[in-house]
Amino acid sequence: MKIRRAGAAIAAVATGALLFSACSSPAGNQDDDATPTETTTETAAPDTPCKADIGEVTTADGDVSYSVGEDEFLGYNSFTPETYSTYNSAVTERMQGAFWYFGVDGTICRDESFGTYEAVSEDPLQVQYTVADDAVWSDGTPITYADFLLDWATQAITKDGAVTEDASETPLFNHVSGLTLGDYVPEGPQADAAEAKTFQYDYERVYADWQIQISSPMPAHVVAQQIDVSVEELVQAIQDLDMSVLEPAAEFWNTGWISNPGELQDPALVPSSGPYTFKEDGWVSGQSITLTANEAYWGTPPATRELTIRFAAADTHVQALQNGDLDVIEPQPTVDTIAQLEQLGSAVTILTGQTLTWEHLDFNFGEGAVFADSLPAREAFAYCVPRQKIVDDLIKPIDEGAVVMNAREVFPFQTEKYDEIVAASYDGRYDEVDLDMAKQKFEEAGLEEGVRVRIGYSAPNPRRADEVAAIKASCDQVGFDIVDAGDPAFFDEALPNGDYEIALFAWAGSGQIASGQNIYATGQPQNYGQYSNETVDQAWDALASTTDETVHLEQTKIIEKELWDTLFGIPVFAHPGVVAHAADLQNVRDTAAQSGAVWNSEQWARAS
Amino acid sequence: MLKFILRRLGISALILWLASVLMYWLTVNSGDPLKDLRESNAENREQLMQQRSDILELHLSWQERYWNWLTGVAGCFRGECDLGTSINGSDVLNLTSQAAGSTLRLVTLATLLAILVGVALGILTAIRQYSGFDYAVTFLAFLFFSLPVFWAAVLLKEYGAIRFNDWIAGGQAGPLAIVLIAALIALVLAALLGGSPQRRLVTGAATFAFVGLVMFGLNVLDWYRSPFFGLGMVLLASLGAGALTTALVTGFGNRRVLYAAATTAAVGTVAYLVFIDILLDPSWPALLGLFVLAVAVSVAIGAAWGGYARKQAMLVSGITGVLTSLIIAFDILVAHWSGFLGLKSRPISTIGSQTPNFRGEFWESVLDKGAQLILPTLVLTLVSIASYSRYTRSSMLEVMNQDYVRTARSKGLSERAVITKHAFRNALIPITTIVAFDFAGLIGGAVITERVFGWKGMGALFLDALNRVDPAPVMAFFLVTGTAAVVMNMLADIAYAFLDPRIRR
Repeated sequence: MKIRRAGAAIAAVATGALLFSACSSPAGNQDDDATPTETTTETAAPDTPCKADIGEVTTADGDVSYSVGEDEFLGYNSFTPETYSTYNSAVTERMQGAFWYFGVDGTICRDESFGTYEAVSEDPLQVQYTVADDAVWSDGTPITYADFLLDWATQAITKDGAVTEDASETPLFNHVSGLTLGDYVPEGPQADAAEAKTFQYDYERVYADWQIQISSPMPAHVVAQQIDVSVEELVQAIQDLDMSVLEPAAEFWNTGWISNPGELQDPALVPSSGPYTFKEDGWVSGQSITLTANEAYWGTPPATRELTIRFAAADTHVQALQNGDLDVIEPQPTVDTIAQLEQLGSAVTILTGQTLTWEHLDFNFGEGAVFADSLPAREAFAYCVPRQKIVDDLIKPIDEGAVVMNAREVFPFQTEKYDEIVAASYDGRYDEVDLDMAKQKFEEAGLEEGVRVRIGYSAPNPRRADEVAAIKASCDQVGFDIVDAGDPAFFDEALPNGDYEIALFAWAGSGQIASGQNIYATGQPQNYGQYSNETVDQAWDALASTTDETVHLEQTKIIEKELWDTLFGIPVFAHPGVVAHAADLQNVRDTAAQSGAVWNSEQWARAS
Repeated sequence: MLKFILRRLGISALILWLASVLMYWLTVNSGDPLKDLRESNAENREQLMQQRSDILELHLSWQERYWNWLTGVAGCFRGECDLGTSINGSDVLNLTSQAAGSTLRLVTLATLLAILVGVALGILTAIRQYSGFDYAVTFLAFLFFSLPVFWAAVLLKEYGAIRFNDWIAGGQAGPLAIVLIAALIALVLAALLGGSPQRRLVTGAATFAFVGLVMFGLNVLDWYRSPFFGLGMVLLASLGAGALTTALVTGFGNRRVLYAAATTAAVGTVAYLVFIDILLDPSWPALLGLFVLAVAVSVAIGAAWGGYARKQAMLVSGITGVLTSLIIAFDILVAHWSGFLGLKSRPISTIGSQTPNFRGEFWESVLDKGAQLILPTLVLTLVSIASYSRYTRSSMLEVMNQDYVRTARSKGLSERAVITKHAFRNALIPITTIVAFDFAGLIGGAVITERVFGWKGMGALFLDALNRVDPAPVMAFFLVTGTAAVVMNMLADIAYAFLDPRIRR
């Protein structure tokens, strides 16, 4: 008898543990009648692509949490190739002021509170920058010419202690942009003194993307202090290319700002020039990093005092938003996540839109390829690709406003420019599938029935597999034999080797004006399909060598028209993006640019 | 024996080395580390690719890179470990130690709980073979065992976090919930206690009424939002723990042991009052010191009461001391719950191992971190309880049918002594092996759980690195989990060889 009791008692303890967990869960079904209500999309969307004017702001106590993904914060210096990522920039861009930023449609917006700039001469290109008088680092040191001179030095000086000739040398500083700036501005910015607020860049040749060439500077006074010289001495050393100073400076710049996870550096080492700065003890490795309002910030202060960036995997974000662990999320834009988010009802606001990444089908112009020398063959393919169907079936369920993309250098959401360029370059002939026309072109090209067309893409990618299936369903009727050539090693092997007829992948738009030259001009590194067209080459040269925006527009029209007429490839759609946020949070805005929803985080405010 | 151990060691080292070669080769060939750069249109793309190639030493053959890695690891024996740098320039040794720490925090509690509950369930189902309780546990064990972790985790977050948080905001159990919970407890208890149908009915009805009343009372007192446990309950629970331990180890027949346990419980409760100031605002070293003191005092009480049963009395009161300490800690935590709710209105988060920037005193942050442990621990425990309970059950059943158990019964030993001393000890032999295997497995197997609950542990380290085709962290992961697996298996083998001479060749 006794034993039986003892046994029972153990069991009672054991089941007690189980029941404890049981009683905590089913109880919640009282106030839970989450009927999917209509999602209210931002009604009063600001009409400017730049940050909206939200009036006078006083910083409210509180915290907003956001997550880009599970990647750990790496360090204060986001400009080395190892640390340069959207994850790291999500943190550092909050504490780095600059003369400009990308607006929601990729427009370059000026931040007048940081300073102003203007091209004093267009050809030769000379640009004068003036940092605002009250602009200071969070430790009180003014932001000056010295910071920008150092910024230039990190992108200009070679390992041999010279200014770069053609940007191909080994750089002294490990800067993600390499030596491009030094290539364009060999003299560096010019000013009267180290502490000057006004300085001028003299470009050696005209550069279309001059505006975004000058970005946020790193603090020169910290570098100088770390290598035991004064700021004036550092400035002098850069001007004289004095390697005895520059080498230790580069050493510190390259490695001195790398942090061990969870260990914030001494605040004196990591000053802020933006609305936020590191919060003391705010970084827990593997968990989150918290920024707090920069007390020394001279511009509009942040609306909410603290911003926490949590390191959580994207597939956990929706539930985290529901539970209030995150306030703003950017989940994977899939049909499933949209459905999940819509279930959350009115507690959550969903913003969908397009991004600056766009999907396209590119022909292989390499020797011996099916489409290489035959325009009718390319036209036959273009007539049978069901672009509208692909957008309707795969993209519209995510973003209702999605449309077929008909240009390469501009995006549908850049409405005015897009409409003008498309009107001038494309007559809409491939908008709808036209199988008769496709068959006619197919015969004209002299293609044999059942000609193999491999569509290569980087697998696994379910959406692209669906796209290929849709193309196969349509184009096989014309006589092509479409083959799904999805391969994990696509970029590694198939693309450089030319083992494909059609390449299906996406370019991430950089916001640069002239970056397309790399893709469409003869012999350029990213011209994988080996396309070559004299008109296009000339137009690119003309475009890249001027800062005149009307010329940019005209040349883009020429390029787009030629690319359509000769069928370089077929643009399909701009990738959709989704942002969801707690409904009580104001001023959250979706952006197409790669900075992510966090781009205007200093404006996020909780409704009180 | 030494020869056996040395041979095992040699084989283990060889296996580990061969596996590391294979792992390295597989990682290096798992994709293209430059993939994201190839799709980029940065002007200095070539330079960036070169830069990354230099970091990853892509110009070398994989054998040479493996050799470099191996020599770095070999440095550990000279005290200068070099596990390489990751693709973004972080020191892998540092990353690994942080990740391993977080994983251990996650896995230890789950493993202990799983062993405890699993083995207990196994014994109980073996004793009550083919009863309703047995069938129910078997059914649940298989159910949990076959649960896909990611799915179970998402469900747990929905019910255990989101809906629980919604509910705790009001903190009142609805009538239906009370009836269901009371019925469930009644059912389980009736099945456990057994007896004639009539007796079960009485047990069930009484339990149902009791639980229902208690839950109603808790509602009235708003207990879920501002709970209390109380000194009286501490004393009662400690006494109960003492009695249970005594019943298991010696039986109530041995009064000296029972008295020792009771004294320990009483002294523990008094000590709670004495040290209340330290306990309410402690530090980890102070708590640890008090705990050690508690165990020492308990053992001394056992020694004083012991007499002829000195050893047993010391054991029992020692265990009672530990349990009393835990009950006191529980009481303090319960008392801090409402304060914690004030700081964090939604107590259980779906991600992370702690609340960012949590501003609470010592016990509140223990609650914060503890609350974050509950869900992932539950997932891991539920999955491994299944195998433990099944193994224990079958092993117990086998042993219970052995001749020596019959002999023990026939010479008049009490059923308690037969089960705990003769049957259970022998049944433990195979379970030891499984525990060793499992612990090693859990470190690597927590990959999904970690990811779903936003813990940055070994799993995240491995996954992230593999996605970027970055061999150094992958190999560090392998080094830790591989070594753990090999060492644990070896320990199990050795233990096995010690326990069962027949397998020593």
